[in-house]
Amino acid sequence: MSKPLIGVVLGAILGAIDGLTAWFTPAARDQLGGIVIGSTLKGIIAGVAIGFFAKRFHSLPIGILFGLLVGALLAYLTALMQGGYYFEIILPGTMVGLIVGFATQKYGKTPATANS
Amino acid sequence: MKWLSDDKLNYLRTIVGNPDFSSTKYAFIKELARGGMGTVYLAEDRELNRLVAIKVLNTPEITEDLRNRMVREAQIIARLEHPGIVPVHDVGVLADGRVFYAMKFVRGSRLDEYATQNASVRDRLRKFQAVCDAVAFAHAHGVIHRDLKPQNIMIGSFGEVLVLDWGVAKILRNPVSSEADTLLLPVAETKNEKARLVVDTSHGTIIGTRDYMSPEQARGETNQLDERADVYSLGAVLYFLLTNRPPSEARPRSINPKVSKPAEAICLKAMSREIGSRYFGASELSTDIGRLLDAEPVSAYRESAIEKVSRWVSKNRFLVLLVLAYLLMRIFFVFTSRP
Amino acid sequence: MDPDTDIGGPLHKFPVTDHSAIVGARSDDQLIRRRAFDTILASYWKPAYKYIRLKWQADNEDAKDLTQGFFANAFEKNHFARYDAARASFQTFLRTCLDGFVANERKAGRRLKRGGDMDHYQLDFVTAEHELAAHAATADLNPEEYFHREWVRWMFTIAVEAFRQRCDESGRTIHFQLFERYDLGDDANVSYASLSKEFGLEPATVTNYLAAARRDFRGIVLDKLREITATDDEFRAEARSLLGADVK
Repeated sequence: MSKPLIGVVLGAILGAIDGLTAWFTPAARDQLGGIVIGSTLKGIIAGVAIGFFAKRFHSLPIGILFGLLVGALLAYLTALMQGGYYFEIILPGTMVGLIVGFATQKYGKTPATANS
Repeated sequence: MKWLSDDKLNYLRTIVGNPDFSSTKYAFIKELARGGMGTVYLAEDRELNRLVAIKVLNTPEITEDLRNRMVREAQIIARLEHPGIVPVHDVGVLADGRVFYAMKFVRGSRLDEYATQNASVRDRLRKFQAVCDAVAFAHAHGVIHRDLKPQNIMIGSFGEVLVLDWGVAKILRNPVSSEADTLLLPVAETKNEKARLVVDTSHGTIIGTRDYMSPEQARGETNQLDERADVYSLGAVLYFLLTNRPPSEARPRSINPKVSKPAEAICLKAMSREIGSRYFGASELSTDIGRLLDAEPVSAYRESAIEKVSRWVSKNRFLVLLVLAYLLMRIFFVFTSRP
Repeated sequence: MDPDTDIGGPLHKFPVTDHSAIVGARSDDQLIRRRAFDTILASYWKPAYKYIRLKWQADNEDAKDLTQGFFANAFEKNHFARYDAARASFQTFLRTCLDGFVANERKAGRRLKRGGDMDHYQLDFVTAEHELAAHAATADLNPEEYFHREWVRWMFTIAVEAFRQRCDESGRTIHFQLFERYDLGDDANVSYASLSKEFGLEPATVTNYLAAARRDFRGIVLDKLREITATDDEFRAEARSLLGADVK
């Protein structure tokens, strides 16, 4: 499995889980479908970006940092659109980015490098 | 006649027993170890200014057969150029008529001594894998060791692993590669014309060390032996590394419950009394040990679904912890943000 | 190097049976038997005497009579021809026979006639007695170990004398002198350098002469051993014992 693909899969799964937790908020249950789709898409976007970064740059600390930043940025934008709940959205979103950053650096096939 | 005191007697016995290196480039330093066929001495190579280990035939009166066996042992080892096989530098005859061969002096400890130093299971398995690799190399060159045991494996001071004492090794067939064919020196080029490589064809002769010997070897079926006899011995060495005891009928986990099921399965497969049930060779055994070290499934053991998941989780512990932490955090926020 | 002649080096030997006095003791030829007996007697009389003194608590006169009586009886009855190498070493066999002889003599209460067939052998019991007095056996040695130890000591002692004679006869006195000073002497200050100065030799010459001396001495020790073993296996086993473990 390539690194971008790992990023996409993991980002999608975590994004979907993220969206599903909206079920615990009765007021948001009506829009659960849209929330899950949106959240999953957010996860996929984050996963793609982080996965391609991992394909290019092989460094666990930098990969984690990048994931963290991407996750935090996307989560911030989501929180802006929501108009609130910044802490409850940004922190988990940052964590998703961290997990995807770690996984894409640790796992997945790296492209073969030419002999110098 | 002058009385010889005990001390003087011991001294005279030592100098008479010690090899006479005067006709060689080596300077005697001290005795290192005594084995069935020969004694190993520490000596200095005066030309290259390095320490060497020199094995000299024990017996003062050499028969043609013993001399040939010594030189043959040296030639067998010399053609096996591998980091895990002790290199032979020289072979010759001392001024007192005894055959010797000089090999690399390995500073370190034997595997059985190393195991008593509380080496971790991972360390032991890594060392064991290195032994398997060295033996696999010999097998690829048509040579089986026939006396593998912890006492014949050295761990150098830098952690390197060397297999020693190829004195009872057997040549099964010509080496695999065509390059190796040229190592069978024509008669005129051997140091000693009478010491050409000879395949051991002795019938019923039991060679090796009992505890670590395969059943077919113990029965004296010398001509039936192949690489799997060494696989059995390697399994017995693994048994020792897992339990700190010589092999017995007891399963390794009954002696040491900390041994994992896959590790036990590898050990028992290698030590199977049925030749056909063992690993084909040392390389296959080495591969399974490598999988065990990488927390991959091993061929000797069929995992249950739970064991598969457990192994995967154990291998990816950090990721699993991160995801769990994320989920816990999510749950925390769900319940704390309720009105 | 000619493989057919040089493989064994200069000390390539004939089989043990060509030199063994034990084998000679079984010969039909009276002269060969006598020579074989002489060799066995020369190698074992002193350890036998000391053994009798220690184990059987015989006084020096009795021990002397018993030692001579044993060997005379052994020659007369040709006991050594009965030796079977497959059962034990010759040393063990001889010691067992010796015990049997002494026990029988004690039981019979006989007083052995001195002289007789043994008179012409000049066995130096006086020196043996002085050695016993000067160097008592240690308490932790059992009689069998003591016998073995004294046998080893005696073997090396006669080998030194044989080496001295050989060097004198072959004009290599200096070899023996160097060997005597460095390997037999007790002076801790002796070194190759000091011997080089003392004998007016180059240090490398001292090294070479000493190496040659030790090589020759080793050959003599092994020759002596070969004379009193019956088979190659026994010879190798006794050689390991003689050259291997420490004397207690």
